[in-house]
Amino acid sequence: MSVRHVCALVLLVAGTGVLLLSAVGLVALPRPFQRLHALTPATTVGLPLVALALAVATGPGRAAVKLLLIAVIVAIGGAVTAMAIGRATAQHERLLRKDSPE
Amino acid sequence: MNAWLLAIAVLLTLAMPLCMGATARGTAVERLAGLNLATTVVTAVLLLTAQGFGRSSFADLGLVLAVLGPAGTLVFARFLGGRSIETPDTSTRREA
Repeated sequence: MSVRHVCALVLLVAGTGVLLLSAVGLVALPRPFQRLHALTPATTVGLPLVALALAVATGPGRAAVKLLLIAVIVAIGGAVTAMAIGRATAQHERLLRKDSPE
Repeated sequence: MNAWLLAIAVLLTLAMPLCMGATARGTAVERLAGLNLATTVVTAVLLLTAQGFGRSSFADLGLVLAVLGPAGTLVFARFLGGRSIETPDTSTRREA
């Protein structure tokens, strides 16, 4: 078992753990705004750690670059969708005026 | 069974039912959070499948889902937010 394999396994366990904790938090947190806190760790920490583990396991090359690109896309998209869901929740709770800026 | 397939099994048996449970209850905006997390988990599962079965073409599915998942969530959030501001609140909302 090489050092690279051990590093990949540690990153994989960490990423899977963060994804599991986010799923548990989504069910455990009662209020809608608290649930938003469970979404962002999964996209900014959990999936990038899993993709990093896969990139370490595959070694340097085009496949690793593609995995890291997917991690970056998911991290950016997750941040944007968390903001959009927060805005929709605020509109649903009547916390925003109708003429508030987009 | 290698570590990648074990991670797929853990994610599909423990994380996905929780995401589905969050998607199946609550108001429409609350369900959106469960849908978003389910998209992230499925993206991770697709990437792990590519490595676990040794088929690199499966990673393309993960790339497609990583691009299209947030776009779908944005469209849903846009429609739901606009609808709830224009129509009166007739739903029975839980006071948690």
